[in-house]
Amino acid sequence: MPLQRVSKGFKDISLSFKVNPINYDLISITNETAISRAVRNLVFTKRGERPFDALLGSRVSSLLFDNLDPVTASNIELEIETVIRNYEPRVSLVRVKATPNYDANEIDVEIVYNIIGVDVPQQQLEFALQPTR
Amino acid sequence: MVLVNLTSLDFDQIKQSIKDYIRSNSNFTDYDFEGSNLSMIIDTLAYNTYITAYNTNMVTNEVFIDSATLRENVVSLARNIGYVPVSRTAPKAEAVFTVDTSSFTSNFPVTAKLKAGEVCTSNGTGSNNFIFSIPEDITVPIDDSGIASFKDIVLYEGSFLKETFTVSSANPNRRYILGASGIDTKTIRVRVRPTQQSNTVFEYRLSSNLNDINSFPRVYFIQEVADERYEIIFGDGVFGQKLEDQNFIEISYITTNGADGNGVTGFNYIGQLESDTGASLNRYVSPVLTTVPAYGGSGIESVESIKKYAPRVYASQNRAVTSADYETIVKQIYPEAESVSAFGGEDLDPPQFGKVFITVKPTNSNFIADPIKDNLKRELKKYGVAGIIPEFIDLKYLYLEVFSTVYYNDNLVKDSSTVTTTVSDIITEYADSTELNKYGARFKYSKFLKIIDDSHRSITSNITSIQMRRDLRPALNAFANYEICFGNAFHIKNPKTGYNIKSSGFNVSGVLQRVYLGDLPNGDGKKGSLFLFRLDSEQQPVVVRNGVGTIDYEKGEILISSLNIISTAKVKDGLSIIEISVSPTSNDVIGKQDLYLQLDTSKTEVKSVNDSIESGGDVSGFSYLVTSSYLNGTIVRA
Repeated sequence: MPLQRVSKGFKDISLSFKVNPINYDLISITNETAISRAVRNLVFTKRGERPFDALLGSRVSSLLFDNLDPVTASNIELEIETVIRNYEPRVSLVRVKATPNYDANEIDVEIVYNIIGVDVPQQQLEFALQPTR
Repeated sequence: MVLVNLTSLDFDQIKQSIKDYIRSNSNFTDYDFEGSNLSMIIDTLAYNTYITAYNTNMVTNEVFIDSATLRENVVSLARNIGYVPVSRTAPKAEAVFTVDTSSFTSNFPVTAKLKAGEVCTSNGTGSNNFIFSIPEDITVPIDDSGIASFKDIVLYEGSFLKETFTVSSANPNRRYILGASGIDTKTIRVRVRPTQQSNTVFEYRLSSNLNDINSFPRVYFIQEVADERYEIIFGDGVFGQKLEDQNFIEISYITTNGADGNGVTGFNYIGQLESDTGASLNRYVSPVLTTVPAYGGSGIESVESIKKYAPRVYASQNRAVTSADYETIVKQIYPEAESVSAFGGEDLDPPQFGKVFITVKPTNSNFIADPIKDNLKRELKKYGVAGIIPEFIDLKYLYLEVFSTVYYNDNLVKDSSTVTTTVSDIITEYADSTELNKYGARFKYSKFLKIIDDSHRSITSNITSIQMRRDLRPALNAFANYEICFGNAFHIKNPKTGYNIKSSGFNVSGVLQRVYLGDLPNGDGKKGSLFLFRLDSEQQPVVVRNGVGTIDYEKGEILISSLNIISTAKVKDGLSIIEISVSPTSNDVIGKQDLYLQLDTSKTEVKSVNDSIESGGDVSGFSYLVTSSYLNGTIVRA
């Protein structure tokens, strides 16, 4: 197989494992999509989940079962910031905002970051965290 | 590029191998970032490979007897070379009791039968209570005065159990596995009836060898299976009698607690006695008197022992030819042996051809009894080469005495007694280890020093000197010659003045005062003469008799000629002894031939001294306490 290296870009496998109808290869995700997926993966990974790397991941999943209040939200912000700074060197974090949504019993998270080395605008990733087992 | 090194047992290495592969063979790039999907997949793959490699490694280990760790596998591998591990051994006790039937007025019984099963319980052993059983019925006649005497019946510690099986042709692959663990296989009794209702009973006998089956075809074989249990295997019609359909098998055995039951001295009767007329005789039984307390119990053969002996037993092929064969076979037929040494008579000085000399150290005592020696001789005849006579000789102990001065940094320990206790404990532990307690053992001086140094972090160094000692048991009030071999060369500390050996005191006929043994080297420094001296004061010896023997410093041998010893100053185990000690030329002392090397912890001295230089109290070393590396002290043993 000839060596084909894509320079100045990030290319990851898609966990949907769907097949590209044109070249019958696995669907891949690139650049900002790949990185946003990686950031989400890091946030949702529990510590100890990865084999032989007990520190990778965050305590977000367990914090969701604490009282829904600004203190918990602040702790979640801190966890997300820490895991991204430690394990995702491709992004420069701008801010992390966790807002309790008392009516829906969830925390809305907004992560804003710049991607290092790729010429794309500032990224904003939003998702809601709900305590589910 | 191919995937390399996936047999590694290091997760990170495996992961790196997979990353290297992806780097060279795909256009995905995110494998280096831990949050990426690809990284998750790599982690899963690496973990799977790691587990597979680990399992493969463990499985491969279990395939070879050298590296197998699980008992079941070691036993199975040993079985391939015909080795059956020694089972637990029930402690045996001997006891006496009588049955008085003189009060019978009619139906006078002629015999009394003590039925196989539980006979006694222990008493006087604290919280532990043991049951003692017999594997077979014992029948004794009742004499004219109506007394039946059960003399020296052998009781086995443990519970008596019985299992039955019915042979069925519908199930030809049935296995006869005994349900209980902790069985003493010597107590297994196998009886087979043609059918369950039949009164005919055939005794089956244990066979460990196909060669002796023809003379007695009703045999069974035994093998250890999982969880320390045993399977009984019967013959196939070619080797040993084959079982028929509807045969009824009765297997009885005793399950024991092994060594825990050793030392039981008192018994209470709980057995089942009946007369030939069928009457119960239990209420006529006298108190049980113990003639021999329970001894000889031991646990099941350890995995280490199986690994050691299985290949050797296989190598000896059930034949005692070399001295190593004797060592292996004696251990096999006498499991209570802690250590066995055998050597040919040709190695002796003078040589005794046609004999092999065997010394056995039993687990729970120092010497084996004469009846056991006779039994062992008889058993060994089955294996030995015709014309070679096995001789059992008593154990000769070569004791080591250690004098250790330990320097310690007092900043790192609470007090000196902690150091002394720690070092004493480690020396005791070393003295109990198999490093020493075996024939052919070698006391490794440098290793010993290191053990002391490493025993506590505060210890900075140690000065340790050793001396060898043998205990002479004199024949009192009789002229006798004595030969005391140490097997190690003696150090001549005083070539001109003598007094290199030290002895404890004793009295000889013709001399009033207590005397001691002394030596004086000849001019050649190889041999010397012995004399007796008395002590007027601690360091003022007066020679009372010259020429009482010779000493060979190179061979390490003391010969005392024609001396009538009346009494000794020291008594050990009720026997008069004379302790004779000497410094060895080499600090690495070897237990040669029949000498059994033991470190005598009761004579070991440990002294701890503050290392003032290391502690910072006296960095110039001005007041540093210096210890001599040589033994000093008196010229006799206290």
